[in-house]
Amino acid sequence: MEDTELGKKILSRREFLAGTAAVLAGGSLLAACGSSTSTSTGGSSSPSYTFVLIQGVKGDPFYVTMQKGAQAMADKLGVKLLVDGPAQFSATLQAPIVDAYIAKKVDVMIIAACDKQAMIAPLQRANDAGIKVISVDTFIGNGDYINGPVTFPLSYIGSDNEQGGKIAGQALITAIGNKGGIYIENVTPGISTTDQRQQGCEEAIQATNGAVTLVGSNYDNDSAATASQQVSSLLASSKGSQVNGIFGTNLFSAEGAAQAVKNANKQGQIKIANFDAPQEAINDLNNGVVDLVIAQKPADMGSTAVQYGVYALTGKTSSIQKRVATGYVVIDKTNVNDPASQAAIYKSS
Amino acid sequence: MNVSNAVPPNAKESQSEKTVLKPLEIVSKGWSWLFLLLLVIFFSITGQGFLNIFNFQTIGADMALVLIMALGETFVIISGGIDLSVGFVMGLASVAAALVMSSMGGSAPLFVVVLAGLGAGLGVGLIPGLVNGLIIARLRVPSFIVTLGMYGIARGAGFILSGGQPVSIQTNGIGQIGNGYLLYLLPDGRFSFFHLPSNLEGVRPSQIVQLLPFPLIFLVVVLLFCAWLLSQTRFGRYTYAVGGSEEASRRAGIPVARHTILIYMLSALLAALAGVLYTLRFSNGAADVGDPLLLTSIAAVIIGGASLFGGEGTILGTVIGALIISIIQNGLIFLGINPFWQFIAVGTVIILAVLVDQAKKRLV
Repeated sequence: MEDTELGKKILSRREFLAGTAAVLAGGSLLAACGSSTSTSTGGSSSPSYTFVLIQGVKGDPFYVTMQKGAQAMADKLGVKLLVDGPAQFSATLQAPIVDAYIAKKVDVMIIAACDKQAMIAPLQRANDAGIKVISVDTFIGNGDYINGPVTFPLSYIGSDNEQGGKIAGQALITAIGNKGGIYIENVTPGISTTDQRQQGCEEAIQATNGAVTLVGSNYDNDSAATASQQVSSLLASSKGSQVNGIFGTNLFSAEGAAQAVKNANKQGQIKIANFDAPQEAINDLNNGVVDLVIAQKPADMGSTAVQYGVYALTGKTSSIQKRVATGYVVIDKTNVNDPASQAAIYKSS
Repeated sequence: MNVSNAVPPNAKESQSEKTVLKPLEIVSKGWSWLFLLLLVIFFSITGQGFLNIFNFQTIGADMALVLIMALGETFVIISGGIDLSVGFVMGLASVAAALVMSSMGGSAPLFVVVLAGLGAGLGVGLIPGLVNGLIIARLRVPSFIVTLGMYGIARGAGFILSGGQPVSIQTNGIGQIGNGYLLYLLPDGRFSFFHLPSNLEGVRPSQIVQLLPFPLIFLVVVLLFCAWLLSQTRFGRYTYAVGGSEEASRRAGIPVARHTILIYMLSALLAALAGVLYTLRFSNGAADVGDPLLLTSIAAVIIGGASLFGGEGTILGTVIGALIISIIQNGLIFLGINPFWQFIAVGTVIILAVLVDQAKKRLV
């Protein structure tokens, strides 16, 4: 290695100045776009309560929409809302964040737990520290906060994912003409929501009494590239001809599957249902890449959770239900422009 | 690639300037300490509630997993290699430990269940370590390739062993071990060791003062052992020697192949230990629990001053590296800053660490 020259003179003065300027400019640019963590306060009804919304993964449109719903309610009720979340959907990364907010002494913790078992202990610590814990989107234990193994969270506010999977399955079965084969592209084993969507879809398939069969299922680790690879292999295999519909249990799963279907020139022949409704999914729907979009109502989850937190802090515990199922909107090409459908689309910023 | 350019051309000049450079030298040697101190001061001033003994012991308990993994990686990196498989070895061990503990739970005393789980986790974890070491040392395949292969194999094995689902443990008491504290103090002056005092009537959980979390104590024990092993034993001296020059070590009569195998077994053992600790703390085991920690653990070793070319690094350095990362992650939460900044902050520190390290070499 010839680093004698380099060794003498690390950087010229001009290079140093240019480099510093570039770093400073880049930094301030990032700071300008990145100042999103909301800390707005307002109103005067409640004495400065601090809530934190801990998302399952930071930056996902689903959670951004939930954040918007929560923020709107927080502004209305005059509480301070902090928002945080791990960079990956992982309990290993989410637990330290929970611990930090326990140390920060927030009043209410609204959380989409990354693992139903692993997050029990960290949230138990939060509860022991006097923080009100509310589950949104995902649950801990078995989700039954009245008779289940875990009862300390105030409420589980989220979609009934088994029902959602069933709705998706039924819509997909109708779309393929009530006969043929369905393949399920799932995310990662062990996530309560997506596992239940698969289960719901399988129930819908079973209910056809053999008219529709389950061709198979796979896990893509929340990577559209992996999903695409898996579906491409499936379509190329001997089982490929049996597939009439594909259910993607989240956006990346459906998008990857759609890409593979496109690559195999089977667009339109194989119907694709996408669970969750970010703008990309709606674009995919308009472009004919996917055929069905099943939208949850994350904004309702966020606003209800903040409302419940204030109820709990002001002693109105009788207004709190232990389980709130927030429901679905099924969007296809015929109703995509209806106001109800448009309102259900997740916002990315 | 030849990277041995021992004597810089300006060595003589720097010799004569040595007295002038002394303060600079101190800064370059202790920069990581200084940086850590500045971080703590910065967050203490700006983040309300950050400077608090309970927050610090939480940071300590939460960093146990990544630091134990990083300790093993320190030995590997000093010896001139890299171990990419530790994340999924950790997951595999957590699955094995959880399977054994959940199947034995209730039928045996708690400490037997825990020891059996520990044995299963460490035993299963040692296998990938042994295979890594054998292929690297005997068949002379680069460690990056072998451990990248093992990364996939351990991942698959973990998923197969667990059936794709997290293995949860319902046995009472397991979670208490991973989440318990050494000392509990009640507001009325009563205290107890290891578990909560029996009569808690009229005491709110938030009034109980809990000191010294078990994972932190566990971490300190492992840490002291590794520091001793690296700095005081022949095993440690061989590790530096092999990383400095494999050829010279061989000529000096060091059993290089055998030692390399032992290093990869140690690395896998420590990763497996982190896996068992995860199982005790979160009452479950899953194949992918260690994956998010792999690159963080390598970053901690690099920030700690270890050289990827081998021969350099210390346990203390790795501890400071892990502390810097954990304090940044924790402190940014207190500042209410978007967590995406963590990546930029930690990434900047890694590059800074290497720049300072290079500057140091030019000075000395």
